[in-house]
Amino acid sequence: MNPSLKLFLVLIISLEVSLKANLLANLILIFISLIYLFIHRVSLKELLGLIFVPLIAAIAIFIAIYYYSPAHDLIYAWTLFSRLYTFVFLGACLTKTTTATQLSRSLEQNMHLPTKFAYGTLAAFNVLPKIGQEVKRIHAAGQMRAMNLSFYSPRLYFKAILSAISWADGLNDAMQAHGFRETQARSIIDPIALTKKDWLLFILLLISFQPILFFLYI
Amino acid sequence: MKRTLHVKDIILITLIAIIFGFIYVASDNIYNFLTLILTPIGYGPLANDITMGIWCMAGPLAGFIVRLPAAAFLGEFLGSCVETFAMAQWGAANFLSGFIQGLGNELGFTLTGYKHYGWFTLFLSATTTTIVTYLYDFFKNGYNQFSIFNMILYFVVRWISMLLFSCVLVKLIVNLLERSHVINLQTTQD
Repeated sequence: MNPSLKLFLVLIISLEVSLKANLLANLILIFISLIYLFIHRVSLKELLGLIFVPLIAAIAIFIAIYYYSPAHDLIYAWTLFSRLYTFVFLGACLTKTTTATQLSRSLEQNMHLPTKFAYGTLAAFNVLPKIGQEVKRIHAAGQMRAMNLSFYSPRLYFKAILSAISWADGLNDAMQAHGFRETQARSIIDPIALTKKDWLLFILLLISFQPILFFLYI
Repeated sequence: MKRTLHVKDIILITLIAIIFGFIYVASDNIYNFLTLILTPIGYGPLANDITMGIWCMAGPLAGFIVRLPAAAFLGEFLGSCVETFAMAQWGAANFLSGFIQGLGNELGFTLTGYKHYGWFTLFLSATTTTIVTYLYDFFKNGYNQFSIFNMILYFVVRWISMLLFSCVLVKLIVNLLERSHVINLQTTQD
């Protein structure tokens, strides 16, 4: 499926699920997402990661709703528990099968997103590993001066933002030097198809989900 | 000539958002730790409200550095997009929360007409973000099931967190940036 359409589908369904409580719909979505992820050969290790990371938060919500809310609504507690996993697995359907580059190319070519957004975000995305190093470096440099820079220290953010400003300048210059102009049309090296079949699948999936969400109850 | 967002601004806004995401994830154990402590007394979801202010710092800061409409929204939203791909912790919820938080952040700046940049702007932005995100969590995280007392408690805790981080801490960072002339001082001050 076309990356942009996949993104919109995931977003629309997630938004609906976040506002309408329906346990069965959540379970069906998780099941379908799991099958989709298996078809795309997502490793078992990654799947276990998806299950364990939100577990604490999911249990916390369950306990707060079932044991400590006035209604003690078990179904609702399970709904919220499974809702977190619906988000995680739906998100994984997008992020484990599509790269950020494919998505931004698709948004640019198929959805006519201005190139400055598509490439600006992508440029920042690609220096992601460096940002982690930079934050660690600042932290270590602070410790050498007996300053513990933590998440509440303005100085940590200040130094990181100074680096970000210089990187933004550098990346911008580099892109200009490589011929990037935000007002000019770009030629396409790697075209991303948006076919009638994609649209049909998108509409079909979206429409067929509505009765499940609104009329199917346990 | 009216200034618009350029590619350099967009890169900077995204980088700022990523930095905040990183620092938050690096201290993610705070969130898990709080959840673990609070869960036995039934206040597990409160950890989300306590740390909410940290999540929403990128937006106001981006709005302060790049003083243009949509900067605060993009700071929050683009950051969440990158985080969804890079860390994939909360999946699609990340996109949605980023979108909602971005709207909340932006509203504060819109209400001051993008002309006044000072304490009041940050206070407004923190407050609108609290209201908008709370309304969303009211349905998404089941706050509508809580007792009236807890509903108010969660709101107040979220607001305090927002004021501490997205208002006071952001202002302290902005002060450092202004003193070092990274942000020019020509715009209105308190």
